[in-house]
Amino acid sequence: MTAVESSWGWLRHHAMQIYAVLAVLYMLIPIAVIIVFSFAATPKGRLTFAIDEGFTTEYWSSAFSLPDLNEALVTSLKLAAASTVIATAIGTLMALALVRHTFRGRYISNLLIILPMATPEVVIGASLLSLFIYYTFSLGFETLLIAHVTFSISFVVVVVRSRLIGFDRHLEEAAADLGATPFGTFRYVTLPLLAPGIMAAALLAFALSIDDFVISNFNSGTTVTFPLYVYGVSLRGIPVQVNVLATMLFALTVIAAIAVLVQQRRAERLAGTT
Amino acid sequence: MPLSKRLVPYLLLGPGLLILVFFFVVPMYFMGELALREGTLTTGYTFNWAWSNFPDSLSGHTDQILRSFYYAGIATLLALLIAYPLAYAIAFRSGRYKTLLLFAVVAPFFTTYLIRTIAWKTILSDSSPVVDVLQALSLAPAEGRVLATPGAVIAGLTYNFLPFMILPLYANLERLDLRLVEAAKDLYSSSRIAFLRVTLPLTMPGIVAGVLLTFIPAFGDYINAQLLGGTGQAMVGNVIQSLYLNQRDYPEAAALSFLMMALILGIVLIYIRLAGTGAFMETDEREEAA
Amino acid sequence: MQKTNERRTLAAVAAAVAAIVVAVGLAACGGTTGGGNDSEVSVAKGGPVKGQLTISNWPGYIDPGKNGTVAEFEDKTGVSVDYIEDVNDNNTFFGKMQPLLEQGESGGRSIMVVTDWMAKQMWDLGYLQEIDHNDLPTVFANLSPSLESPSFDPKRQFAIPWQSGMTGLWVDKSKAPGIKSVNDIFDPKYKGKITVLEEMRDTVPLVMKGEGVDPEEATNEDWLKSIDKIKSAAQSGQIRAFTGNNYTEELTAGNIVAAIGWSGDASIVQNKNAEWRMPTEGCVLWSDNMVIPVGAPNVGAAFGWMDFVYEPEVAAGLTEYITYVSPVDGVKDLLLKSSPELANDPLVFPSEEFQKNCSTQDSPPDVEEVSDAWAEAVTG
Repeated sequence: MTAVESSWGWLRHHAMQIYAVLAVLYMLIPIAVIIVFSFAATPKGRLTFAIDEGFTTEYWSSAFSLPDLNEALVTSLKLAAASTVIATAIGTLMALALVRHTFRGRYISNLLIILPMATPEVVIGASLLSLFIYYTFSLGFETLLIAHVTFSISFVVVVVRSRLIGFDRHLEEAAADLGATPFGTFRYVTLPLLAPGIMAAALLAFALSIDDFVISNFNSGTTVTFPLYVYGVSLRGIPVQVNVLATMLFALTVIAAIAVLVQQRRAERLAGTT
Repeated sequence: MPLSKRLVPYLLLGPGLLILVFFFVVPMYFMGELALREGTLTTGYTFNWAWSNFPDSLSGHTDQILRSFYYAGIATLLALLIAYPLAYAIAFRSGRYKTLLLFAVVAPFFTTYLIRTIAWKTILSDSSPVVDVLQALSLAPAEGRVLATPGAVIAGLTYNFLPFMILPLYANLERLDLRLVEAAKDLYSSSRIAFLRVTLPLTMPGIVAGVLLTFIPAFGDYINAQLLGGTGQAMVGNVIQSLYLNQRDYPEAAALSFLMMALILGIVLIYIRLAGTGAFMETDEREEAA
Repeated sequence: MQKTNERRTLAAVAAAVAAIVVAVGLAACGGTTGGGNDSEVSVAKGGPVKGQLTISNWPGYIDPGKNGTVAEFEDKTGVSVDYIEDVNDNNTFFGKMQPLLEQGESGGRSIMVVTDWMAKQMWDLGYLQEIDHNDLPTVFANLSPSLESPSFDPKRQFAIPWQSGMTGLWVDKSKAPGIKSVNDIFDPKYKGKITVLEEMRDTVPLVMKGEGVDPEEATNEDWLKSIDKIKSAAQSGQIRAFTGNNYTEELTAGNIVAAIGWSGDASIVQNKNAEWRMPTEGCVLWSDNMVIPVGAPNVGAAFGWMDFVYEPEVAAGLTEYITYVSPVDGVKDLLLKSSPELANDPLVFPSEEFQKNCSTQDSPPDVEEVSDAWAEAVTG
């Protein structure tokens, strides 16, 4: 084989992988821009659309100098954490019920869970606002939490459900045969095996909450979440610190993912499989 | 079955269903009631069985509705074309890097929708080198611009909803039993036929889920149109937002919202019918057979 | 007996529809909702200047940081201020607040800053509290005479000016030096490189002036005619976009050569070639006003804030950062020493002569009809 032929063959064989890498790079393009611009020197601390004046690390050293920005970010993180815990717990229970049991009203329950995913955010946000007003709930963190949990539940159910369906019941049966109580089986067999699905659902719920703008815009009162803050400043010039913090958030998730990866590898090695 | 066992599913479902009923169904009722009112802010909104709000809102905004279908449709198609090979590669060809790749797909989510879209606005601004490159490659009109065109909005929609397409596809592909494909090849079919006759049908539920999870939010989106589009790219979401917040025509806003939901539900039901119900109303087949 | 999925869906939908019809029928007894707060207009009751104060304002309207006005106020009075920049557009802000104000609530806010016409709209709907001049000695001692008695609030019962400004043309000198009149933005050679403000009362009066119509005397037809002209320009692509505050971004990015925009935004536009120009036909004058909503907590602290920002030294500090027109007398003299270029800038201290062709912001005769036509033009 000539060099050309063999390299062409290599290309063809690895076409999929190359494509995957290219596609993932495409997905990360805006992230790259965000990171690059977090080092941009700008005259008034607000982003411009080109790197005219060179680079600087001053915004990194003053990353936490905007109290409104910090407060908004902290609010978003708290909101996302609370919403994730609640939605994941409730959604997992619902998924278990829907997949493992037959009962009347199952079809309607399914429909009810699908509906919020079929509803545009504008509609959910506006209708929730009408509800809160009617019952004179004062808008703020609590109403935001309710809104976020409501739209997250459906996604959690769908993710956990798809994991539950491929589940091998024999393992649970074996545990029962060996004398485990139903609760024990659930705790030591079902839950650990379900864990990846629950983790995935939790991750999705977290991302949805921290990312949400439309529904939060309608229901936040005077509470400012990170996306709402960005929207507010985007109209007058985004402070560079926003990019810095966004980069930090991204870096944190990178580190978390690597940690999970390392732990996975270690678990595999310990178990003797690689 | 003993009573306690029969109660279990209801107990499990209870909290979730209650939340959904109170904070999803009830607001919808309020919105429906609002859609049947008429009036203005100064005169008050009187309940009037104003059914005319529905056809009026539809006829007044057909342009934007059609546009939303068009943009969301193309964005979904593009997303499918991009996501399928990617999901396939992650599921079967990534070996040790599987988790890393999956993470790379979800990670952009954590930097906020708005910031990502604004980053694209920076990248595609008229004076940026990227646009020059695109023009050189004839992907963009030579004299024109990329921003404030339908293309920019569609590109934004595709990008922002790509994870919604990738994840269901991946979840479904991962469970694909490759031995079936091998068996097809053993039976002398070509790779292409194996794909069309075996892989594709088996992954149809994933495709259905992905398409729906992408099209629906894209249809109701207004951020991309607002940031990346210009005059003439407004979508239904922009109209509803304007009606609600700018014109304070709550009845028409509510009526249009309802119509949107009905449209989407209709599409969902038809699509599921055509593609098979297993996808969305998934149940454990073994459980049902038992 | 197993119902097919299809029949189940129909059954579910039928049940839902039945439930909704019944519930809605019951609600029909609900009658009318909205129409404003009919209760008596309350006069804001002052009190000690302490506690917590929440202010909603437009972005970029305050000097931030440890040496800023908010920090100064907090130090001087001990009041803890929650300053939120969530007013990005009069209509959108109103849309957000309206359900609350309808119930007599302000969502925790003691002061909101909205433009003249919006203040009047809120007042007419009963959403604002009346202000007793005796509660604000510094304000009324230092209020600029030209702002003492505006047409929308002749006795200054509910609106205290925060800053004033002018709507005119922002032009990129290097790319479109010839744009001097409002009508120039319709010149085809600038196609796709023009933005106009989404705010109807900023854009349409300017365009009307270009047609020779005086906005203060304009009829409905005049408004509708100009809206039509703008609509065609939008549909043909002459106008690139309708913007809010973000036209400054488009200028900075070089996406446009001219925009209808506000005079004080020089500090935000980061394009050295862009400048604000008074159109040959004149500009539109407006003020953003502090108002006290119904249900405002801690009115005493609110009054304290208003009096504080009307002290000339404080007002001068604000003007140095914001570069809009201050409503406080005596600021120009203070700035002549510390920032002479600012003191002599006609955009920050416009003379009568400079503003002679300008009109104040007004609402059209038939607000509903014109607003609907405008909304159609914008969300084309």
